[in-house]
Amino acid sequence: MMTIVIGITLCLPSAGLLLIENAGQISQNIEHEAEISIFLDKTVSKNQIDFIELSLKKNSLVKKIHFEPKLIAWEKLQTKLDVAVSSSVSANPLPDAFFISLNTLDEIKIQKLIDNLDGVDGIESVTVDGNWIKKLRIGLSLGKLSVFFIAALLIIVLLVVIGNTIRLQTLTYKDEIEVSKLIGATNAFIQRPFMYTGILYGLGGGIITISILKLSVFSLNVALIKLVSIFGTDIIFNDLPKRYYIYIIVLAMLIGLISSYISARNSIQRLKIYK
Amino acid sequence: MITFEKVSKNYLGSPEILQNINLEILSGELVFVTGPSGAGKTTLLKLISALEKPSSGSIIFENQNLSQIKNKEVPLLRRRFGMIFQDHKLLYDRNCFGNVALPLEINNMSKTDINRRVRAALDKVSLLKKERMMPVTLSGGEQQRLAIARAIVSRPSILIADEPTANLDKEYAEEIMNIFYSFQQVGVTVIISTHEIPSTKINFKRFQLNGGSIQNLIGHVQLPS
Repeated sequence: MMTIVIGITLCLPSAGLLLIENAGQISQNIEHEAEISIFLDKTVSKNQIDFIELSLKKNSLVKKIHFEPKLIAWEKLQTKLDVAVSSSVSANPLPDAFFISLNTLDEIKIQKLIDNLDGVDGIESVTVDGNWIKKLRIGLSLGKLSVFFIAALLIIVLLVVIGNTIRLQTLTYKDEIEVSKLIGATNAFIQRPFMYTGILYGLGGGIITISILKLSVFSLNVALIKLVSIFGTDIIFNDLPKRYYIYIIVLAMLIGLISSYISARNSIQRLKIYK
Repeated sequence: MITFEKVSKNYLGSPEILQNINLEILSGELVFVTGPSGAGKTTLLKLISALEKPSSGSIIFENQNLSQIKNKEVPLLRRRFGMIFQDHKLLYDRNCFGNVALPLEINNMSKTDINRRVRAALDKVSLLKKERMMPVTLSGGEQQRLAIARAIVSRPSILIADEPTANLDKEYAEEIMNIFYSFQQVGVTVIISTHEIPSTKINFKRFQLNGGSIQNLIGHVQLPS
């Protein structure tokens, strides 16, 4: 019963960690550099486009430039949405656009560049694409902190629960403890079986946690396969790295050991015979 | 071997149970501690076996002052005594073998040695055939013999028995006392608290307790058989 309690209790922070690790994968897969999208006026002329491109090439902050004409953008969108191209459809709503990568992450320099671009004829709007990644990363950091905080609280709860169970066990074995003390057993000798029990509780609980996590990941991915087939995405829920599972087992065993050591030691000392 | 020097004992808020006790027990002696109920016999035995510390005075056991012994040294000291309690203090969830093996497990002996010594101890008290039986199935005399087996299995130099025949028939009581006499004959110091001294041909020492003090320190006395 105690192993189940430990297993399920540790599932909560472990699941949180699993979610954060998966969310973190998304941010890591995106290039770690600032990107700006420059959307041009719908009435911009070819000369203006050439002028803007030349200005961008001369700018020392710009690393890469990619120009996407509105026609290409429109065709891409229609392909993605699987909508048939028809000449009777209303005019292409998309503008011409430049997508540039910068060779700096300095927010002040990026903002100055944006301010300069805003004043250029032919440019409708300028957006910084990296902002949402920063927000995601901040969110993930906060998420990790929350998970650790919740984990700490749950560990304290487990320490108390296991400690209470071990204390009750020492009361159950009170007679044996008393006789053992009378005939010369040290407190350490008497404590040892209770500590082994605590470690085993932890081991069992850790295995249950891992089993639940593995089952959850498998079940989620089975469900996601259906989603992938509908939306054509390649989302997959990744399992935790193997080392995290070792950490979970070790942590669970440590919780069992520490809790049982403290509880058994206190209980046995209270059964002092020598006055 | 064991010397009491002006030893007194009282518990918090209570009058003194033992007052200014002076005595000496030599190695290999048979000692009876007698007296009425409440005289302090059990307290005296507890002081000898380091289950209690004196309120004042000193108890010297083989050049070690038990009054000043550190808590961590107490378990090691207790292993040198073989204790037999009035209520046996057997473990009813262990069989006879398991009960007798406990002191040897505490001493971290190997399984082979434990097996050999436990069987020898059970044989000594004529319980070898019942080694796998649970204590609850034994008679009163057999339970006491089992307690003796546990006390002797680690070959202590001192056996301390607190009213070992109190709840036994005369026949069982004689049986138990004969076991103690046999150990004393091979050099073990035997200290027994009892209401009345059983008949024996062996020389013994007697401490008569009354009202917390030793009133009569009777030397070696040979009773008629």
